[in-house]
Amino acid sequence: MKTHQRVSIAIPTGALLSGALKVLARAGVARLNAGELGRQLLVDRSGLRVILVRPADVPAYVDHGAADLGIVGKDILWETPGSHYELVDLRFGGCRLVLAVPDASRLDGPETWPPLFRVATKYPHTAAMWFEAQGHAAELVRLHGSVELAPQVGLVDGIVDLTATGRTLSENGLRIAAVLGESTARLIANQASLKTRTDAVQSVVSRLREAVNDAR
Amino acid sequence: MPGFRDLLPAEAEVLREAQESLLAEMRRWGYRHVITPLVEGMDVLQLGLGGEQRRRLFKFADGRGEVVALVGERTVPVARLVAGKLRAAPLPLRLCYSGPVLSTDAGRFQQRRETYQVGAELIGAPGPVADAEVIALAARCLEAAGIRRYQVDVGHAEFFHGIMDAVKLPAEVKAAVRAALAARDFVALEALLERTPLRSAEHELLLRFPALRGGPEILEAAGGLVRNRRSELALAELGQVRELLVTHGLGGVVNLDLGALRDFDYYTGVIFEGYGPELGRPVAQGGRYDGLLARFGRPAPATGFMVQLDLVAEMLTHASRPPALPRLDAAIAWSGDGLGTALRLGATLRLFGMRAVVDTESRGSGEARAWWHAVGAVNLIHCRGESTVSWTPRGSRMRRLPPEQVAGRLAAGLS
Repeated sequence: MKTHQRVSIAIPTGALLSGALKVLARAGVARLNAGELGRQLLVDRSGLRVILVRPADVPAYVDHGAADLGIVGKDILWETPGSHYELVDLRFGGCRLVLAVPDASRLDGPETWPPLFRVATKYPHTAAMWFEAQGHAAELVRLHGSVELAPQVGLVDGIVDLTATGRTLSENGLRIAAVLGESTARLIANQASLKTRTDAVQSVVSRLREAVNDAR
Repeated sequence: MPGFRDLLPAEAEVLREAQESLLAEMRRWGYRHVITPLVEGMDVLQLGLGGEQRRRLFKFADGRGEVVALVGERTVPVARLVAGKLRAAPLPLRLCYSGPVLSTDAGRFQQRRETYQVGAELIGAPGPVADAEVIALAARCLEAAGIRRYQVDVGHAEFFHGIMDAVKLPAEVKAAVRAALAARDFVALEALLERTPLRSAEHELLLRFPALRGGPEILEAAGGLVRNRRSELALAELGQVRELLVTHGLGGVVNLDLGALRDFDYYTGVIFEGYGPELGRPVAQGGRYDGLLARFGRPAPATGFMVQLDLVAEMLTHASRPPALPRLDAAIAWSGDGLGTALRLGATLRLFGMRAVVDTESRGSGEARAWWHAVGAVNLIHCRGESTVSWTPRGSRMRRLPPEQVAGRLAAGLS
């Protein structure tokens, strides 16, 4: 239906960028280097348009149809569910969303939690859903960065944050009390692109899927 | 207020025109127009809507303490009408409607809580002929509204129900499979099915059915995979509907989509979605809902669809050649004792179907030209007396002529 048959894919800046470029290259979809993309933000290469955007913006580009496909961490999808299709687990960028409390704290399992758990997080929606599923009341403080600091200065009892190795947590005197979920990079697709430009979009999806399966 | 907005003439007139075209097409197919209220009692809406839809309603208590809500869709009110005030009307009934619908949920990106829907319902007719009629009507409606390139994806809710019946999975895994599909999360779906030890044809089908899209050949491909009666009947029906749509002259725009994921608790048969160019969402959607009317006490098969009017308008205004807004034909200024002539000339032009504005105050020729430009009309006609008027078409020189000659030339399209 679209006038052009070029497939566009939104990929995130930050921690997932190098993994995203690697999987695109391994799938034979496009070879790009981070420097080139960082300068131009938008590169057309062998029938594919690659758009570099902030991680949390990937679903917006895909849901609106500005990009047919997107590569994004599952943590972002938990926080901002949309109308896209989640197609492939790309199996890189693995990390966990955890509830962490100060080392010195007596807090552990739910039975030790205060009646109203004060939590700082960049993931208020996901954290709220999780606490609700636990049947526990939580007061969520939305922060935009340096979440690890919040318990040390007495702002909150604990934090809900993403961790890959746990190092940042231990460096800040925090330990993991519970795991909310495991996140990896996902391939998402616009609902209309899959239907109106099936062949072109499916071909990119299949190549990425194969590249991931071959690497297992 | 977030999610609510004003539509200015550039949008509002396109939207209104599209609405008229859609309703006119529905009337050409014999659908009668009904208007249901913006407010419905919760007792009515509760009968027809799922939990998630109910949650998104704007609810409040009216003066008598009854809980009422602003409608979030308009099929349920039509069902209430058919089972209530229209219960003596013989079936099948063909009804159409138009109006705003409201949602407390602004949506993450769209930020719209008030949208406009135009819809049609065919109530009391079972089977593929009725299914095909409604799909064909939806397609012709999109054309009538001015959307030249579009496609319609047709699927069947029973195909999925048949697979879910036949697949051997614990109840809680089945529930998780439904939840994953509702969230369009195929990663979760694969993970769920990978963990189950029992493998069957239906397992494979659950993983593959979302990709079963295309022409009539996919019916055969799917037929080779299914081993249950319910899905087989769905495929047979889908094949009939497709053939009927070819006869309707729509073979070129119809795709079969066995992976269409919709509200499966509501839809009971053939379902479809219409897509336009360059828009990330379906612009029309509908299907068969044979269970709804029974909840209102008048069991009847039913099928229908609605068009998202604001998406249609958006598509039209963003097209490479947006529809020309109806222009204002004449700005009629006057001075001295020219008011009578101006009013009569305005009436004459409108009789010929032209758009004419008569000034509310007397102006000299310089001021009249400024007013003409502000109004944005094609012609300026300045009336100073009864016998002659000064007529200036845009981009031409001014001429003095008797008013009836100006009217005659404008009506004939001359300048």
